[in-house]
Amino acid sequence: MPKLIIDHIPVEVPAGTSVLEAAKSVGIWIPHFCYHPALGSVGACRLCAVKMVDGPVKGIQMSCMLPAQDGMVVSTTDPEALKMRSLVIEWLMTNHPHDCPVCDEGGECLLQDYTVAGGHGIRRYEGKKRTHENQDLGPYIEHEMNRCIQCYRCVRFYQDFAGGSDFGVMGSARRVYYGRFQEGKLESPFSGNLVDICPTGVFTDKTARFRARYWDYEMAPSVCPHCSLGCNTVPAARYRELLKTIARENPAVNGPFICDRGRFSNAAVNDPARPRMPLVDGKEASWDEALDALMLRITELEEVYGPGSLAVVGSPRLPLEGNILLARLAELLGAGYLCYFADREEGERVAAAVSLLAEGRAASMADVRKADCVVILEADLRDEGPMMLLAVRQAWRSGAPVFLVGKHAPLEQARAVSVEAIELNIIEEVPLAIFERAVVICGTRNSTPAAIALLARAEAKIAPLLPGPNAFGAGLLAREHGAVTLAEAAASGKVKGILAVEADIPEELLARVPFVVALDWLPTETVRRAQVVLPTAAWVEADGTYVSFEGRAQRFRKVMAPGLPIRGLPARYHASPDKSAPFHPPRVHRSVPPGGDLRPAWRVVAELVERFGGERVEELFEGRWEQLRDLDPEGGGVRLLG
Amino acid sequence: MAPFTKPMPIFNDLKALATGLFVTWKHIFRRPVTVEYPDAKRTPYPRYRARIVLTRDPDGGERCVACYLCSAACPVDCISMEAAEGEGGRRYARWFRINFSRCIFCGLCAEACPTLAIQMTPDYEICERDVMELVYEKEDLLIDGCGKDPEYNFYRHAGIGVVNPRGGNPDEEPPVDVRGLMP
Ligand code: SF4
Ligand code: SF4
Ligand code: SF4
Ligand code: SF4
Ligand code: FES
Repeated sequence: MPKLIIDHIPVEVPAGTSVLEAAKSVGIWIPHFCYHPALGSVGACRLCAVKMVDGPVKGIQMSCMLPAQDGMVVSTTDPEALKMRSLVIEWLMTNHPHDCPVCDEGGECLLQDYTVAGGHGIRRYEGKKRTHENQDLGPYIEHEMNRCIQCYRCVRFYQDFAGGSDFGVMGSARRVYYGRFQEGKLESPFSGNLVDICPTGVFTDKTARFRARYWDYEMAPSVCPHCSLGCNTVPAARYRELLKTIARENPAVNGPFICDRGRFSNAAVNDPARPRMPLVDGKEASWDEALDALMLRITELEEVYGPGSLAVVGSPRLPLEGNILLARLAELLGAGYLCYFADREEGERVAAAVSLLAEGRAASMADVRKADCVVILEADLRDEGPMMLLAVRQAWRSGAPVFLVGKHAPLEQARAVSVEAIELNIIEEVPLAIFERAVVICGTRNSTPAAIALLARAEAKIAPLLPGPNAFGAGLLAREHGAVTLAEAAASGKVKGILAVEADIPEELLARVPFVVALDWLPTETVRRAQVVLPTAAWVEADGTYVSFEGRAQRFRKVMAPGLPIRGLPARYHASPDKSAPFHPPRVHRSVPPGGDLRPAWRVVAELVERFGGERVEELFEGRWEQLRDLDPEGGGVRLLG
Repeated sequence: MAPFTKPMPIFNDLKALATGLFVTWKHIFRRPVTVEYPDAKRTPYPRYRARIVLTRDPDGGERCVACYLCSAACPVDCISMEAAEGEGGRRYARWFRINFSRCIFCGLCAEACPTLAIQMTPDYEICERDVMELVYEKEDLLIDGCGKDPEYNFYRHAGIGVVNPRGGNPDEEPPVDVRGLMP
């Protein structure tokens, strides 16, 4: 363990740590472009210069390339080092265009920050600027090569970290070019990370092009709802529109990256077709009217069909709060059935997966990255959990063999991240016993519940991919309350009404019941068929909790206030409703934004609990859930196991 | 203690009194500096800071690129806008709003503007009875001229190829041929 002194502070770090990382560990920030914690150092940018005052090496050195050694005395503020760094900035700027005002990176740009910090304000170099042609890289990413500072972060991420092969560096000397050989969509399912990782504005998010500046975003720590992995994100909104999603680092989960599905699936939140007003028989109603109508009809339903004819249905995409409260509501209503899954098989598979994960058996994505053997069992990770594929690649890069087992584990997924995988038919063929840190990633879409349960005997950690961001939570609750699936409930023939809370009910079940209530924020088929619709807030519009595939409960915060986006606001909300809608926000005052009277699902359920004679809901998390009361959204989450 | 240098301070006092009174009387017979507004109006200096305008570049295009810098600089947050992409990749303000009922005419927005689009004018008579009338939209702000600095066109310096083709501005080399084999 080398001991060294950095800016008069003694530091002890593990062997192999660079001086830059050693300084970072005691809170000293050395400016850098090319170093990145996930990608390591290459010494390309020369910005991390420090002065070695004493010890085995002396003089100006690149702190990212220099391993910490005993006896080093480092100064990061020595005038010589400062001068070096300000000159580096100045020469990086000799070719940089004068276009910060029209660059989407402006305000969140490392180059901008260090240029200001380095004091470079007036151009001294009189030569001409080098220019490049841009490429069309598809619908997600905008390319502006003139802004490049040749730090190589993009290629190192795209090729080394993510195993992409259609993007790289070309040319030589002053002409190096980062792009594809031919224009076209970037093929890697992780290409969006180029936006985060490029320290300048070469790659920017095309889906939110020019829409806002960093300082204007409404942002909050959040969790991705697009699969069960629970990657940590920061959604960014402006003018009631969800514009961007940025990766948020969680070392145990996604690391510093997210997949393209998580990053670019923002449109559903801004969809004008979203339910925005309570509806009774297709007519807009106030919340009170709708809730009154709902109570009346539930009472009628029980009078007509007898008690127990209502099924209360939660879902794997409904945040934990709503799912917990549903049990209370079902009890109060004397509902015949409490369901968390619509499909019978799905419910059974999740139940099997949840009970598999005891202490020490659940593999996190960090465990997968560090595994010495990875088995992908009946899963296509590109679809069921893209970031898991990136984790598998990291394990493979450090030497772990990757096995694809079963009929539903296509080889293309391994090719997408340039991993060489071995295809097998049954899991017994994998010599799991010879590995110490083996992980079995088990798809639950195509495995039978029995096959999942068999994994209990496997000598490996298990990572089951589940059908939704809160499927694990729903599975735990289903077991706790002895819930059945809706399919089973309907098979009994007694279900005459469904109260679906952010649940996707299959059409054949909808067709069989005369009365449907839908609480949802998505314009689903269930919402279209429902007699009473209560619009709920999307995950970015309320606080909530998801339990990810490994039983990790993670809190997310409200990012934005709900409401119809200002862009495209219909004319009827403007000062002159009969003219065509102007671009600017309305010139009339309102206390609630149009379409903004949405409530989080759990609040609606709480209201129903009160109306049906229950006590006021003061606390959602009781009993085994108590540990989630003050869950810190930035604390990495809490493991709940099966 | 300092030596007694002024034997007769009373003369100095009287002199001071007389000077003061003289100034007073001088001003009594001067023409007053106040004007009978609105019957009489003053012409402010060209750099007087009042009603704000958005100007155009010498080629007639909108100068504002909706970079959000003025709205960030504004201490009372009275500027709002939304940027969009126009023809040829030109960035412009889809809408741009200044709430003059809040503006304190400090000029920080004009100082922040990298394209010299937003400028202060000496037109100080913008009172209204209805406060909504003081909320100016882009069509109320955009003028058909360059205002100050009539030569400047940001896009001729920005280097991203909107007005001139890429590499076509005076301080740029033509685009690199990446596949070229020359060293
Ligand atoms: S494109 Fe961005 S990440 Fe890639 S080398 Fe240039 S500056 Fe670095
Ligand atoms: S892997 Fe899943 S949770 Fe992670 S970002 Fe992608 S869709 Fe979201
Ligand atoms: S003059 Fe000052 S207060 Fe008025 S818009 Fe500009 S920055 Fe804001
Ligand atoms: S600072 Fe200038 S260019 Fe930028 S938005 Fe304001 S007026 Fe437009
Ligand atoms: S961070 Fe050390 S050279 Fe770039």
